[in-house]
This record gives sequence, C-alpha cells and structure tokens, in this order.
Amino acid sequence: MSNLAKRGTVIPSAIPHGPRHDRIWVGTEGVQEFLVIQLGDQRMGLPLASVREILKVAPVTLVPRAPRAVLGILSVRGRITTVIDLRLHLNMPEASDTRSSRILLVHGGEETLGVRVDAVLNVVRLRESEVEPAAIVGSELPEHVMGIGRPFRERMEAANPAARVAKGSFERDADAEVVILLDPTILLRLRK
Amino acid sequence: MTDDADRIREEFFAESQEIVEALSRDLLLLDHGQKEGRTDPDLVNSVFRGVHTLKGVAGMFGYSELSESSHALEDLLDQVRLGRIALTQTALDVLFEGVEVLQRLLGAARGESHDVDLEGYARRIRNLLNSAVERDSDSLASLDLDPGVLSVLTEYEEHRLRTSVEQNIPLYQLRAKFALATIDTELESLKQQVKSFAEIITYLPSTEPTDDDALELVILCASRRTLAQFRETLSSSAIVVDLVARRAGSVVPSIVPSRPGELFDLPSARGSMFPGAQLAKDADVTPRAIAKTVRVDIEKLDHLMNVVGELGIVKSSVSRIIETLSERPELKPLLAELHRAQRAFERNLASLQEGILDVRMVPLSQTFDRLGRAVRQASRERDKEVRLAVTGADTEVDKLIVEELVDPLLHIIRNAVDHGLETTEARQRIGKPITGTIALNAYQKGNHVVIEIEDDGAGIDPNKVAARALERAILTEDEIADMTVEEIRQLIFLPGFSTAREVTDLSGRGVGMDVVRTNIGRLGGVVDVQSEVGVGTKFTLTLPITLAIVNALVLTVRGQVFAIPLSVVQEALFFDERGVRQVEGREVITLRGESLPIARVAQLFRLDSGHATSMSKPSPNAITPQQARRESTKTRAGSTRGFVVVASLGQRRLGLVVDALEGQRDIITKPLGKSLASVKGISGATDLGDQRVILVLDAPSILNEILAQDGGHHARLPS
Repeated sequence: MSNLAKRGTVIPSAIPHGPRHDRIWVGTEGVQEFLVIQLGDQRMGLPLASVREILKVAPVTLVPRAPRAVLGILSVRGRITTVIDLRLHLNMPEASDTRSSRILLVHGGEETLGVRVDAVLNVVRLRESEVEPAAIVGSELPEHVMGIGRPFRERMEAANPAARVAKGSFERDADAEVVILLDPTILLRLRK
Repeated sequence: MTDDADRIREEFFAESQEIVEALSRDLLLLDHGQKEGRTDPDLVNSVFRGVHTLKGVAGMFGYSELSESSHALEDLLDQVRLGRIALTQTALDVLFEGVEVLQRLLGAARGESHDVDLEGYARRIRNLLNSAVERDSDSLASLDLDPGVLSVLTEYEEHRLRTSVEQNIPLYQLRAKFALATIDTELESLKQQVKSFAEIITYLPSTEPTDDDALELVILCASRRTLAQFRETLSSSAIVVDLVARRAGSVVPSIVPSRPGELFDLPSARGSMFPGAQLAKDADVTPRAIAKTVRVDIEKLDHLMNVVGELGIVKSSVSRIIETLSERPELKPLLAELHRAQRAFERNLASLQEGILDVRMVPLSQTFDRLGRAVRQASRERDKEVRLAVTGADTEVDKLIVEELVDPLLHIIRNAVDHGLETTEARQRIGKPITGTIALNAYQKGNHVVIEIEDDGAGIDPNKVAARALERAILTEDEIADMTVEEIRQLIFLPGFSTAREVTDLSGRGVGMDVVRTNIGRLGGVVDVQSEVGVGTKFTLTLPITLAIVNALVLTVRGQVFAIPLSVVQEALFFDERGVRQVEGREVITLRGESLPIARVAQLFRLDSGHATSMSKPSPNAITPQQARRESTKTRAGSTRGFVVVASLGQRRLGLVVDALEGQRDIITKPLGKSLASVKGISGATDLGDQRVILVLDAPSILNEILAQDGGHHARLPS
C-alpha cells in the first residue's frame, strides 16, 4: 500500500449537500492537503485523502461503447479499474503520454477510478484563508470545482522542497500559484 | 462501531436463516412421518428448540414481529410436544405457514418488503391452541414407580412417559454410578448408547446414599427391547437395568422387534427423500463439529481469488525470467533448482485455487428443502397427492448460483404440481397411481451441474401450445405448420406465453417460463424441456458449477483480444465472405442447411484495425512477446478470412464473426466498474495472467441486441 493510501479515508468532499465552500473545510482544523497535478497549463488540486495511489502509465484495455473520456480498463492488483483521461473528461485537447504522465487512483464516492494526468507536482497544505470558495468566485465555475487555492509561495516551498523543482518551468506564469481545487465525487461522475 | 454492528447483524441473519432452514427440514420429515402414522418426538423437540432460539435472538435485535411470530409458533409447538394438540395435516399446515411467515419476516428485517397476513396467521394458531385437550394422568397410576420420581417429572417428560404407557412400550429403569469428575462425558456416552434403541424419558439423582465422589443416577427410558437384550447391549456391570412393572390390568407386549432403533426411525427412504435431514441428525450427534466451521463473507473469498490471480501473474513472470536465463549455460545447475521450485509453486498455486473454489461450494440440499416445502404447500392447495423424490441433493454448486436458482426452480416445480400433474380423479380414470410423482435429480456432468425436474403428469400437448400461440398472435398458422413438435414445445419459453387456462394462485403470477430461461441464462445456463403427452414432462437445467472460474474461448478482433464463455459456444467455423446472404436486412450464413444470423464483432463494437491491443498510447512495452507471436501466425493464416463463433442460448443462435481464435483458457470474470455499467455486450473483464486484461463478451446480451432488432441492420446499431 502506498503512503498516500495509508493516510486515511476521510473525504471532506463526500458531504453531498450544503453551501459549496463548506465542502472544503468540513472535518479539518482549518488546513487541508491537496495533491497538485498538472493538466495542460493548469494546475489542479485533489483532496489528498481521495487519492489512493499514484501509478505510472500502463497499457490499458480499450472498452468499446464506453463514454468518450474512458481510456480503458486496468487491473490494479486484481481489481478491474476504469481509467479516464482527465483532459478528455474536462474537454481539453488530447495529448500523448509523456514521461511525467501518471494515473491517479481517485476515490470518487461510488467507485475508485484511474485518472490520467499530465504530471503530479506536489502536495500543498492550504489554510482556509488561502482558498476562495467556488461560491464566492462565481457561478460560472463548473460544478466539479470547489474552490480556487492560492498558496503563499514561501510557505509552500518551506513545507515541500520538491515543489521548488516541479515549479521551475511555470514561474513565468503569473498565475502559477493558482490551483483549481476539484471535488472528486462530482468530477468522477461519468456521463455518456 | 457501525461495522461491528453490521457484522453482528449479518451474523444474526445468517443464524436465523439457518434456523429457518432447519425448521423447514424437520417439518418435512414430520410431515412424511405423519403420513405414515408416526411422530418422532425428537423432531418435534428440535423444531420447538429452533423456534425458541429464533424468538430469543429476534427479540435481542429488536425485530418484534419476528419475535412475536416465533413466540406464537413456540406456544403451538409446546402443545404439540405435550401431546395436547395432535400433529395432523391441519396442524402441519399452520406450522409450515409459520416457517413461511418467519422466512418472510426475516426478509423484511433485511429490508425486503413483505405482505404477511400476521393477523390471519395468529388467528389460525389461536384456533389450533383452542383445540388443545387436557389429558388425565390415570394411565401413570398403573406404573410401579416411586411417587417421588413422578412428582419431579416436567410436563413434557410426563407426556412422553404417558405416551409410552399408552402405546404399551415397556419402561426400564437404569441405575448407574458415575464418578463426579467424569460424569459429564460418561453420562453423555451412555445416553448416546441408549438413544439408539430407547427413548430416554428422564434422569434423576438416585435417592440412595452413595460415596462422596460419586453420584448414582436413575435413568428412566422406554424401549421395545426385552430386559435380557437391554442388559446385553449395555454390557456394563456397573449399570443395573430393571423393568418398571405395571400393576393390575397392564400388559407387557411379548412381541419384540429385533432391529435396534426401529421405534424412532423414519422409513429408510428418508435419506433420499429429504437429504438435508441427514445433516441435521448428524449435527445433533456431534455438536463440536459445528464449532469447527466458520461463516465467511463471499467477498472475502473473491478477494482471495484475486490474490490467487495475482500469484498466477507472478508465476508467468518467473517463467519468463527462467526462459531468458536458460540461454546462459553457466547458470545450468541453478536453473534446474529454479525449475523445481517453480513447478512446486505452480502445483501449490493450483491446489490453492481449487481449495478456494471448493469453499464457495454448497450442496443443493438447502434449495431442495425449500422446494419440498413448496411442493407440499402446492399439493395441499390443489388437493393433489404428490410425492417428491429427490436424488443428488449433495451435489455442490457455487453459493452465488444456488441463491439465484431458487426462484426458477420454485416456478418450474409449482408449474409441475399445478399444470403438470392431473387431478386425483383424472389420474384414477386413466389408471395412473393416485399419488403423482415429481422427481428432482441433480448431478454433476463435467464442469456443469444438471438439475432435472420430472413429473409423471399429462405432458405438454403441442396442439394446445400451438393453439395458444395462435390465440396470443405470437405466431401465424403458416409458421406453426412449418414447425416440429419439439419446436412447438419450445414456445412455452416465449414471453407472454401461458397455457394455464385460468390464473391460479400457484403459478399464474405473470412470470412465465421466459423469466426462468432468462434467469438461468444469466447464470450461464440453459433450460430444456422434454415431454410426452400422457406420460410426463421433464425440464433440464444445465448450469456451470461456478461463476468464479469459467472455461472460455479466447479470440481476437482487429488486434483486440476477447473471451467468450465456452458454455455458450456451440462451435467455431471458418468464415467465408461469399456465403453471406442478406435476409430482411440481416446478414445470414447457412450452417448445415439452416440459416444462421451473423454479427461482425468489429462493426458491432466499432473496432478499427489500426488499434494495437490494449494500448491507449504508444509505450515501450506495448507488445508482449505473445502478442508478437500471435500477430505473425495470424498473418500467415490470412487474417482476412476469420472465423464464425456460433453462440447458442436455448434455441437461439448467432454467429459472431471474429478474426482469429487463440484457444481455451480458464478465466475469472470480474465485473466492470459502475462507470461502465451502461456498456452493453460486455459482461466483465479478466486478467490473462500475463498482464493482459481482456474483455469478456456477454453472449446473451449480444444475442438479444442482434436478434431483437427486427430486420434492422446491425451496422447501424446505437453504440
């Protein structure tokens, strides 16, 4: 079992109803951990507790008639797991696998899915003051976004030296620090 | 905490279910005994105890309806036990209803809906209770027994004593001394010994003074053996056996049956009639055997099965490494050792897999007991005399299959009583034995289990079937004229078909044989019917032994590998494009003079030839050596030609056009996740053991999809 999987299974986002900004902080002491991933030129965060494992990209078996975003299926220690391409799922252009591509096993309430992302960057600990809840940012945000994280650079680097390395190539971008926080339960609902 | 509570609750359900099943079994035996004019007090007691236990646990878990219903039933059984209510067919009706009520309430406790008429049930119990008679104790006065003994007897013991006196069974008094240290085991072994030929009514400490570290017991029992035989059997000088004399007017019978245990044995046929009962009896004798078994959640077994699958993958990677290493001569001695270790690993892995499969297997006897109950009920309701003859109840089937089997079997067997068997008068008129027979046979045949349900009734009349098909506008007269008698009989499996003239309580519930066929098909099985007018009808169910592992045909289409369970594959032939004809917009080939609709899997699933197997994007280890080899052989064989895999389910057949066949494999089908639930035509996936995951074709679903669309062309199928 990976270290991530051992971190426990409290998924704050599994609270189904209530104001959106509540989803992030329920059951925490004002600090939440997110796994930050790269998708195109965007950075997105998934609640760390919802990520069970990080896998290297492995061959998947195509499933005919599956929803478009489904890449195929994979056997993870004997368990058949559906793998989706987060790019296709979020209507972003397709891209080939690179050395940094990864498949995250994300628990989305009903099912644990494999989610292919361009790269896994780092873990951020966000305080309540570092997150703008979706309800405040605006209604034009898709439902699966539960907020926008703006971690302070200094703290992030101190907390996780690896982040400095990963961040390197994005420093030009003024918005590099912005992390779109995703709600796995809503994100992983597949429509055909 | 919640997990614990859930687990305990699950335990409760499992235990209660076992109790209800045991009740059902014992009642069937009592029913059987009653018809032959005898009542086994041990069985009555066993039923009483079961209901008592159920009452207790149900109360503990707060299921008040279940607890109260058990309580009412317990009261009734108590009176039966005490002989105040005779165990007649009417009383048995209420007892059987009781079991049904408990079964349904148990379902309700699990969250299923129930529509039990608890009031009516309670009323019927009350009516019976009101008929209870008090009996005088005069008959006991004639016994030459210590009044002190009589006064401490419980009501039940008194009843048993009285019954023995009334039936003129000689009574014996045994005096035996036991050392205090070992009294438990010694008394138990004496009881077991005596039980085989005598009924123990009670045992009491003797009133005579004994040593400090020993206890003398007086054991009162009834037996048809003579005193001499009794003494001889016990063959222990430490036990004194005396006949309890009767005073004036009582008779000690001189006839002495010689066979031990005759008094309490049900006819020897019961072993085959109600096989489950044998288990119950055995369990009685060896209570410790129960303690050595555990209940296991089937999911845990599935998990173990997965682990075994993983080990299989490890095994093939080790094999590959060995293969690579074998090219290095300097490693030879080490390699030989490695080979040996690998073979031992393979052997043990195979036996591990077999062991896990074995654990999942349960005998069909539980299911057959339920059927026994249904037959009894149906025959009482329809006023027909029915004998159910069971063979092969110890045949084992995967637990999951057993559960799914109950409803289809119930339906067939109710049909047999309801429509299959003639009425008593009709049977008399045509000279058949008044008691109709339904035979339930199960046996294993290779990797399949066959269950036959056969009745000696009127048979299925093809003329009536044809008439009904016309009436329901299922077929036209011309179509029927072209059909053979056998084909016409198969019409009973069509939706909306029912030859029963009137809708009855028993089988006219709107579900027909088509549901039976569908349900059995879902388990990968088939139903067939054979019948002869005036002689009887036989339904044959053929099912895979386990759902966990099935033998499958591995095939490829446009480079993608699929498996299809061999149980649905009739045969495979070379595909010849020139043989394809268009019939009403559907592609058809001719197989042995008959038209066979075909479906091109590549079109059905929209597979492009450009796709490499199981790859989304290029990756260094995309093509395994196996795949590479396969690709090359396929090219040599000429990949354009292809094969037709003929899938058949019941009477329906479909040819699946595929590119190549790879051979047979044992596979474990695993379900696809919920996110892929909408995908039709695929029943799951399986690990081939060399890191390849392949899809398993869902033949029934593809057959339905292709054959259901009237004249439509499958290339235009919605995907």
